[in-house]
Amino acid sequence: MNNRVLNVGSEFPQFDKIACVSRSKGEEFRNVTNEEHKENDQWMVMFWWPKDFTFVCPTEIAEFNENYEEFRDRDTFLVGASTDSEFVHLAWRNDHEDLRDLRFPMVADTSKSLAEELGILEAEEKVALRATFIIDPQGIVRWVSVNDLNVGRNVKEVIRVLDALQTDELCPCNWEKGEETLTAALSAN
Amino acid sequence: MLEEVKNDIVTALGLDDDNDLLDHLVEGSSRYIKDLKLNLKTALNVENMSAKEAHLTGLAIAVNNKSPKLVKYFKVKSQELEASEEEIAEAIACASLLSANNIFYRFRHYVGSEKYDSIPARIRMNIMAKPVLGKEFFELISLAVSAANGCEMCVKSHEQSVRNLGTGEKRIFDAIRIASVVTSVDKLLV
Repeated sequence: MNNRVLNVGSEFPQFDKIACVSRSKGEEFRNVTNEEHKENDQWMVMFWWPKDFTFVCPTEIAEFNENYEEFRDRDTFLVGASTDSEFVHLAWRNDHEDLRDLRFPMVADTSKSLAEELGILEAEEKVALRATFIIDPQGIVRWVSVNDLNVGRNVKEVIRVLDALQTDELCPCNWEKGEETLTAALSAN
Repeated sequence: MLEEVKNDIVTALGLDDDNDLLDHLVEGSSRYIKDLKLNLKTALNVENMSAKEAHLTGLAIAVNNKSPKLVKYFKVKSQELEASEEEIAEAIACASLLSANNIFYRFRHYVGSEKYDSIPARIRMNIMAKPVLGKEFFELISLAVSAANGCEMCVKSHEQSVRNLGTGEKRIFDAIRIASVVTSVDKLLV
């Protein structure tokens, strides 16, 4: 089994997975792909948890949801994922008060193919570790963090990193060290 | 006679009748009001910028100067000259962002300490990456706003970057003249 986590600078793998996006009848599911955020010129934050219906997960997932606007305002497509099926995701959302109004898709990597490609499957149980990926609008992984099964995440830290990645000092005012770099920077855009 | 000149300015800019300082100039027989009218005409009818570009630059300067009367005038005029809503929004956004950058970088430049240079600005400047106005014109407006706000290093670096994009001194001077004259008009519209 691949136990090497996909690193910064790698292209995020292609995927096309069904996701639970709503509790409204007939609107529960839709497919999410790796192309979606690129087409919208957005970043993507994809965070994984090991299993639905466990105790640590809902707190963390609810915290991501509470910060939904923070991601939206940063042109970022927020996606949650686990290896549970879309029906389990839906059942969990219906069951747990904190998960009813989630505003981001819960991807069902039922075949575990994406978690495997990302190198985040835990060896014993073959469930996803608590991994978080920040992917830029070109589809390149720019940040990875992986926590062991029982260690929760700090959403503020994810936002801090996203901010740092997004706030290049593009203004020529900041540029004092020589003409060539500036010309290169401008022509690159 | 000066009353007529004043009325020309009022009509041209679509102003209301409440223009105390212009009235003072007329009452005190200041010939400056004629110069003001001619300066404005010269500034906005230039060879090296299109009329649309000239008025979008005027809009950015009016926003930077917080001049509601001139913001209204330049916005309407830019629309008449077929500037898109996206272009108008970007000229407005550029004025706002550059006024932040002018303060921030002016501080860095004043102090000149490497320590401040090494701490990230944490000001989002993403609109600079792919401007709908085009890189050259966005930079030109940035230069005009920086000149209006008096940031030496910002002026130098934006002037350099505009010229690196192939712009000549005459076009740059046209933009700076708009910044100057629009500000001089703005001072009289309190």
